[in-house]
Amino acid sequence: MAGKMEVKINGKKVTVDENVSALNALIDDEQQIPSVCYHPSLGAIETCDTCIVEKNGVLVRACSSGVSGGDEFNTVSKDVKDAQKIAMDRILYNHELYCTVCDYNNGNCEIHNTVKEMKIEHQSVPFEPKPYDKDRNSFYRYDPDQCILCGRCVEACQDVQVTETLAIDWEREQPRVIWDNDVPIEESSCVSCGHCSTVCPCNAMMETGMEGEAGYMTGMKEDTLRPLIDITKGVETGYSSIMALSDMEASMRDSRIDKTKTVCTYCGVGCSFDVWTKGRDILKIEPQQEAPANGISTCVKGKFGWDFVNSEERLTKPLIREGQMFREAEWTEALDLIRRKFTDIKEEHGADALSFISSSKCTNEESYLMQKLARGVIGTNNIDNCSRYCQSPATMGLFRTVGYGGDSGSITDIQKSELIIAIGSNTSESHPVLSTRVKSSHKLHGQKLIVSDLRKHEMAQRSDLFIRPESGTDLIWLSAVTKYIVDQGWAADSFLEQNVNGVEHYKETLAPYTMEYAAEMTGVSQEDLIRTAEMIHEAGSVCILWAMGVTQHQGGSDTSTAISNLLLITGNYGRPGTGAYPLRGHNNVQGASDFGSMPDRFPGYQFVSDDEVRRRFEEAWQVDIPKEKGLNNHEMVDAIHDGKLKSMYLKGEDMGIVDSNINYVHEAFEKLEFFVVQDLFLTTTAQFADVVLPASPSLEKDGTFTNTERRIQRLYQALVPLGDSRPDWKIIMDIANRLDAGWKYEHPSEIMEEAASLTPLFAGVSYQKLKGYQSLQWPVHADGTDEPMLFADRFPFEDGRARLYPVEWTEPVQYKEEYDLQVNNGRLLEHFHEGNMTYQSEGITRGTPRAFVEVSPQLAKERSLSDGTVVRLISPYGAVKLPCLVTERVQKKEVYIPLNDDGDGAVNRLTSSYADKDTDTPAYKEVQVKMEVLEEGGASPLPKINHRFGNPQPQIGVQVEKKWQRSDYTFPGDIVKGWDR
Amino acid sequence: MAEKIQHIQKQERTEEEQREQDLREIEDALVENKEVILKSLFTLKHADDRGVISLLHGLFADGDKVLKVLADTLNNEENTKAIRHLLLLMGVAGKLDVEKVEPLLLKVNEGLRRVGEAGDTEEKTGYMDLVKSLKDPEVNRAVTLLLTFLKGMGQEVEEERKTGKTPPD
Repeated sequence: MAGKMEVKINGKKVTVDENVSALNALIDDEQQIPSVCYHPSLGAIETCDTCIVEKNGVLVRACSSGVSGGDEFNTVSKDVKDAQKIAMDRILYNHELYCTVCDYNNGNCEIHNTVKEMKIEHQSVPFEPKPYDKDRNSFYRYDPDQCILCGRCVEACQDVQVTETLAIDWEREQPRVIWDNDVPIEESSCVSCGHCSTVCPCNAMMETGMEGEAGYMTGMKEDTLRPLIDITKGVETGYSSIMALSDMEASMRDSRIDKTKTVCTYCGVGCSFDVWTKGRDILKIEPQQEAPANGISTCVKGKFGWDFVNSEERLTKPLIREGQMFREAEWTEALDLIRRKFTDIKEEHGADALSFISSSKCTNEESYLMQKLARGVIGTNNIDNCSRYCQSPATMGLFRTVGYGGDSGSITDIQKSELIIAIGSNTSESHPVLSTRVKSSHKLHGQKLIVSDLRKHEMAQRSDLFIRPESGTDLIWLSAVTKYIVDQGWAADSFLEQNVNGVEHYKETLAPYTMEYAAEMTGVSQEDLIRTAEMIHEAGSVCILWAMGVTQHQGGSDTSTAISNLLLITGNYGRPGTGAYPLRGHNNVQGASDFGSMPDRFPGYQFVSDDEVRRRFEEAWQVDIPKEKGLNNHEMVDAIHDGKLKSMYLKGEDMGIVDSNINYVHEAFEKLEFFVVQDLFLTTTAQFADVVLPASPSLEKDGTFTNTERRIQRLYQALVPLGDSRPDWKIIMDIANRLDAGWKYEHPSEIMEEAASLTPLFAGVSYQKLKGYQSLQWPVHADGTDEPMLFADRFPFEDGRARLYPVEWTEPVQYKEEYDLQVNNGRLLEHFHEGNMTYQSEGITRGTPRAFVEVSPQLAKERSLSDGTVVRLISPYGAVKLPCLVTERVQKKEVYIPLNDDGDGAVNRLTSSYADKDTDTPAYKEVQVKMEVLEEGGASPLPKINHRFGNPQPQIGVQVEKKWQRSDYTFPGDIVKGWDR
Repeated sequence: MAEKIQHIQKQERTEEEQREQDLREIEDALVENKEVILKSLFTLKHADDRGVISLLHGLFADGDKVLKVLADTLNNEENTKAIRHLLLLMGVAGKLDVEKVEPLLLKVNEGLRRVGEAGDTEEKTGYMDLVKSLKDPEVNRAVTLLLTFLKGMGQEVEEERKTGKTPPD
């Protein structure tokens, strides 16, 4: 049989897979091999020595030993058991067993379980405390006395997350985990991604949410706990009775701690994990290896940023505007008012006087219902969603060229690609978990990285080639590089011949994009541009990631198209490790559009203008649906100003902060005759509303989200809705039914079923196929098969062929000379957008209390700015007031403003109403301002405990060799062999 | 024309309304769980007759302090040894072939009775220690009652065993 071979295990012939480690081969054969430091997601670490077995007569660590045909393994000999026992004794010397009063005693403690499995009754060397204090930050703590020095946390930090903060200092007398160059956690570069506490096999690295909460007897004070631990130890008759007692206690915990699978509500990476809840308290987020997008990975928001769910500021009752205040009301009154107003406005001004905006925070089912409400109940196509603000241009670029508006492959394709090009994407802050895959492939597996950005952010610092084109000129260098590749004869001719239309014409349109022209327009040297072309040519596979730096320009769709053109010319579609990856910003940016909250498209991107499609929906819903496309977000605001649009129903989006030119948007809100906002909080937008409806966040409902990989994943309800708040799908149904729609959905699965039955793209989607951690990547065919990698056989056009789509450069908005600073804007790692959710986290707010403006050292020198200098930035559309942070991430006259402010520092006070010419996505990135210094000598906007001031210490893994070199270390195998002699 | 407003007028019930609603909720719960509540009341009465209620009151009213005293008291070699022996005995009991060791067990019983008497004097010393540590008379009384309670409970089980009754599940 191919890929199989025969070995002997304890004298018995066994067939094992090729290329497995000895440990995995033995585990597959159901041998009980202890393996405390081994973690499948981290690989062999080799620090604990508990997996020692005999291979061909020699004692070896099974985790790091390969298997060859004919090998003989012994897992039961006395030497093996003795060696394992020595290894385990060394662990217990470092770890005090007080399981019953330990918060980690939840049935999954590796030390506890190994002691039990090995039937260890006593330890030869008693536990000894280490001479170090516990250390902590807002999110997790490190207890050196419980730390067994397995190094899992270090492996995860160095090689999975690649923040490179943790190390074990093997050289001191008593080794321990250290942060950076041995500073307290809070002063280090730690980004609190949570990997370390996730992979820790015991209670050494533990989430603070667990402390004193998980166990029945763990909440007691230290001075009571200590004698209890001593009793437990004094009682020690052998560990098995203690283990039995603590196992009992652990099972009792099951009755009050719920573990519910959910999908993260922040960015578009789509991390899924278990959330542990006790009543309404969220104890911790527990990532699972089987999670398809993220495995064991999380970022600080997904792992620790859930305080907003139980915030006292949550809305718990519907609010009705009454004079100068909102009055809390009952649902009946609020719904009746909505019915009356919707009906009146429709009767007086027609259905198109009403508008609906879906949210990319909400579920697919909720997006589906919102467009069904607009089209099927009210009778208007004035329905859009907030992906209009970010990724519509990328979708347009892909529709033009390859036919599907989504990532070409999976995160695993990005991980295994030979070359990653990131354009206008601050990946490590905006899509943290996805960026870890690039960072680790780059660090460990020779992946190359090219970054094109204004700012020298973390990805840029790590890149092999970093180019800084002038803002808004990406299309030019992309086209020049494409032309250079064609001119050199490096185009993928046979791929183009077999799969792509319009090749010759496209090549002709590249004529103006010479190297000279590109260098002059973009400011990137010809040398770097040629190097870029060469690296693409040399790479066997290329993925291009892009984000708002590309799309939020007047030529956003065209630049996205140019990216796709480059990938087509070089044949980087339809193979593993290749493709186009417009990184979706919110948890459900992809799904909000996928499920039809678009003015011209039904679910699955079916055109409203297509008679056959429309008839299908009309028959299913038993209504008439207008044929003409509706207004998008941007057009809605204009239509309000024009007096044509009278009513808006908007959910889950702080449009009054996140739309561009917000002063203009606020004026529009004020003009609305009737405005309904549905949200968790009284957001800036909600403050303009006539009725505010209290919605429930992801943890309080069932549904599905679709991540950037087109991956549909289920979230399960973990908590009951707070107060009188309700899941959005229920609220939409309540409104529809007040308008006599007669909807009868009992559960979101029924909504999905209906959507799937009407949408070929999702034909085979069902909740059954999405159970637990299972997921589907659309298109999902009727038989339930999905397509993790697109375009393997064909492109979804009638002839199955992709199209090269010629584009031209659009000049960015031009400002008068006095507006001399270029404003760039985007996210910070620890806050999500305006911060409505993340500021509710005390820990996040402590580390990052407010927004600021990043200025370059050059600009600081020129204008006498220092950290904390308060400045006013003025654009033709408005002004903001922010404190400065001087940093080398920005250069010259470019400044960067993070989005996390909803007051005087809200960046959209500066942005204009200019937009992408093809999709109306605001040109947020085309802003120039002038600066006034208001106050000098203020405090730095970032406290010293912010990770940006840390000092990472890169190394590969935990460096176990240094442990082996210690004079007090002898390999347990050598010790037992010594006994034999 | 809808200006931005931030003020929310909370739906506030008057004290009377709130009380009325609370009472109604309690009433509903009582009616729905009639059986359980009546049974619980009987159990509570028995517990009170035996002084358990005031014992628990003492325990909970000063929980951490009591636990600390108890833990400190338990945390000496004598007591940990005792628990250790108990755990060992439990282990042994599981491995015994009862039919074969029955005659032996009868003798062990006799031996245990004597150990029990000796234990009484020991317990007195331990009790005094405890009293010393417990300055609060309320707590003092609580712990005394607890020990009496435990003793009584142990005896009852012994009796049941002798009459051959099996305790219900």
